[in-house]
Amino acid sequence: MINTTYVLKCAINGKAVAIPVPASKRMSDILRDDLLLTGTKVSCEIGRCGACMVLLDGKPVNSCLLMAYQAAGREVTTIEGISAGEDLHPVQQAMLEEGGLQCGYCTAGMVVTLTALWEINPAPTRAEAEQALCGNICRCTGYEGIFRAVERCGLSIKREG
Amino acid sequence: MLLNRETYAKKWIIRPDGEEKVTGKLRYLTDLTAPGMLYGKVLRSRYPHAWILSIDTTKARQLPGVRAVVTAKDVPGMNLFGIAFPHQPVLCHDRVRYIGDALAAVAADTEELAEYALSLIEVVYEPLPVVDDPETALDEGVMKLHPEGNLLHRTSLQQGEMSFAGCAHIVEETYHTPRQMHTYMETEGGLFIPEADGRLTVYSPTQHGYKDRMQLARILAMAEEQIRVISSPIGGSFGGKDELNVQPFGALLALQTGSPIKMHNSRKESVIAGIKRHPMRIRMKTGVDEAGHMVAHQVRILADTGAYATLGCEVLNFATEHAIGPYTIPNIDVEGTSVYTNNGVSGEFRGFGGNQVIFAVESQIERLAEKLGMDAWELRKLNLRAPGDPGPMGQKIVQTEGASQVWSKMMESALWAKRAKLQPGSGQSPPSESQDPWTRRGIGAAMVMHGAGLGLGIPDHSGGRLELTPEGKIQASFGFEEFGQGLYAALTLMLQDVFGCATDDIVIVIGDTDRVPSSGSSTASRATTMMWRALQRLRPPFVHTLLQLASEWAGIAAAELATGAGGIHRIGDEAGTPVVTYAQLAEAAEAAAKPILAHTEFDYPTTPEGLVGAHYLYSYAAVAVEVEVNMLTGRVKVIQTDHVIAAGPVINPMGFLGQIEGGSGMALGFTLTEDAVMKESAYLRHNLDTYLVPTFKDSPHIIRVEAIEELPVGDTFGPRGVGEIGSVGLAPAITAAVRQATGIWVSRLPLSPEDIVQSIDWLERVEAID
Repeated sequence: MINTTYVLKCAINGKAVAIPVPASKRMSDILRDDLLLTGTKVSCEIGRCGACMVLLDGKPVNSCLLMAYQAAGREVTTIEGISAGEDLHPVQQAMLEEGGLQCGYCTAGMVVTLTALWEINPAPTRAEAEQALCGNICRCTGYEGIFRAVERCGLSIKREG
Repeated sequence: MLLNRETYAKKWIIRPDGEEKVTGKLRYLTDLTAPGMLYGKVLRSRYPHAWILSIDTTKARQLPGVRAVVTAKDVPGMNLFGIAFPHQPVLCHDRVRYIGDALAAVAADTEELAEYALSLIEVVYEPLPVVDDPETALDEGVMKLHPEGNLLHRTSLQQGEMSFAGCAHIVEETYHTPRQMHTYMETEGGLFIPEADGRLTVYSPTQHGYKDRMQLARILAMAEEQIRVISSPIGGSFGGKDELNVQPFGALLALQTGSPIKMHNSRKESVIAGIKRHPMRIRMKTGVDEAGHMVAHQVRILADTGAYATLGCEVLNFATEHAIGPYTIPNIDVEGTSVYTNNGVSGEFRGFGGNQVIFAVESQIERLAEKLGMDAWELRKLNLRAPGDPGPMGQKIVQTEGASQVWSKMMESALWAKRAKLQPGSGQSPPSESQDPWTRRGIGAAMVMHGAGLGLGIPDHSGGRLELTPEGKIQASFGFEEFGQGLYAALTLMLQDVFGCATDDIVIVIGDTDRVPSSGSSTASRATTMMWRALQRLRPPFVHTLLQLASEWAGIAAAELATGAGGIHRIGDEAGTPVVTYAQLAEAAEAAAKPILAHTEFDYPTTPEGLVGAHYLYSYAAVAVEVEVNMLTGRVKVIQTDHVIAAGPVINPMGFLGQIEGGSGMALGFTLTEDAVMKESAYLRHNLDTYLVPTFKDSPHIIRVEAIEELPVGDTFGPRGVGEIGSVGLAPAITAAVRQATGIWVSRLPLSPEDIVQSIDWLERVEAID
């Protein structure tokens, strides 16, 4: 029998890993099922809701659309890798303080996207923030709490009426 | 008071379950795993309506890695479930009535195997004619979906005499509302564990653990005590997880295999099998006299309840009760009909039938105001229920000034000032920030009166428990569930308020039938009210016991002592060191073998008179919106939203604000984009690529929430819940704003950009482009 097992070698949350998985296995499933990193959530499975958002070499991607082979040799950061040790990331702190979450099921993905925005564009306009975040759906907050969090964690969102 | 972080600084607390959520550490029930677990999958119907001639599971059973295949004959107890009355088959054996109907369930070593096994189950169907239109479902000759026929429920509410003879103006219109999907981010699922001692543990999201336990006991033919249901935390529900979903299958498979079963619905399966908001067709005929007094109001509600009952009767009752809004009308004739079809099952959804009828009645007010040449807000005032007026069903209700308070308060808002500059129905844009000549702005408003609790005639039991743990913590136990609404935070704030204690002194236990008393369902905006009432009852006996013991310990009269941070303090020295700590008291209680606890049971307050479904407590809301309509595309964007809510004292400001903002966001989808379209009883939209819920870009840039907290002196009912009210009034406010912006009346939701474009006068449109 031909051994078709593929070994994915990549870095996850700063740690080098080698995981025997089918090359086409979704990263979201690898994270949740193989690595038990259940902070990454699966909600729509087709890259529309952002609940499974992770950073791939620092850029937010839907891990449900990321196949194992596509992550080879690259660096994946999940929500579990966002906070530095015991300290919360400023984005996480702001989400807490402004009521940017309710049921919390979208929150991990939301935080991942937000931290990427925080790194890339520390002073976005409202339109830029909307652009960055519109791949993350939240069904609970109506988004206002999340926008307040965006403003609070150091981003000077220009209100455009 | 305007609700925000600054104005409510004292009570603005970080939710106790927040940190685990922002760090991804929180394990939802669908995240759980167990050693040796199998994966469960359900075979759903191929047809919306068919006889089942045979189900052959031989091939599926033979597949290596498949551990169990269950069909109807494997259901040991009652093969039916349903929150109000058991009506829906767990596993169908003779007939399927909608495409979500389950025929078999499989447990296998992997999810892929389980799915493959489903494809090996051979079902022979004989397709039947599909009943997909609620309008014709009751016609002669239409096939009966249930032995009792296709009528689920009829309601009727009459007062005065129905005659439009004396009316100066009459508006008659039919309103259509969509089949809205809950779209909770966490789809249904959970982990089902057969325990060594013969018990079954169910880790599955639900809004009512005890009700699930009761239903599962019936299905499994087990004693209720043999089942433990753990029901929190939940990744969103909005009413959608109050009914059983995957629990019967997970439980059956766990018992059959003796292994833990994990289930987690795909989004597509969640769409197909899950309940939705009832689509309704509402015909209203409303007449006013010359002065604008409402004289007669005739309403016909037709609700598509889909294949099974679930809470179809109760939703229709609620819609019937709320069909006159917060107004007094002498002559009322409301009739509601809820019919079975082969469409997806409709059930409980935030607002509970109020959203549909409030859209209709508030739209009627707008149309009447225009006929009268009157401002619609003034017309509302003219007909608004006054303190002392009976409830909508003529029943005694708890009186507040809510209706007039929200009416007046709305007029003080900046958005209102902008609206006031406009002529009603002129189609003229307000002074606008928008520069594009093809966009128009309009402002509209609506009012809501919303009943809380389940209403008369439905058991609405609650209860709670307080105890001092051996570690010296004040432990509050309730049978409620946390699905995002913020119960932990609300209860923390209430306990701090009641005991003056610190956060560290509190332990909260919810959502575990082995550990909590029955508190009734976490639904109908009732949990906060019920917890508050429970604490009112629990506090005196609990504190009395604490202080007695403290008095004995410290040799100080109980009258000089009070509960506080860390323990019992001398009155006046709350900031100092406790005379005796809670831990010391716990030790003393244990030594004396006298545990310190208090338990209470009671019912949600109901009206002493009135018809089934009538409510006793109501909350009120006014909502105004500013919209921008793109006249070229017909797209409507909500720019700003103002909510005024009168629901009594604000317990948890962050939660209150979140519920109104979130409810408003959900109503935005209801109004503009969301419709789980069905064709010949098959869903056409299976995921979030075609079923469009609002995103960041669709969210209004400003949402103001104003809370009116005052209740009449002596009101003993305290805070009313706000889980639903923020979602009810937005639709008619938006369509009123669209009318002002464009001159177009909208009577069908979600409003169609195509309809708007087609309704625009071509010449006017050319002018707009110039």
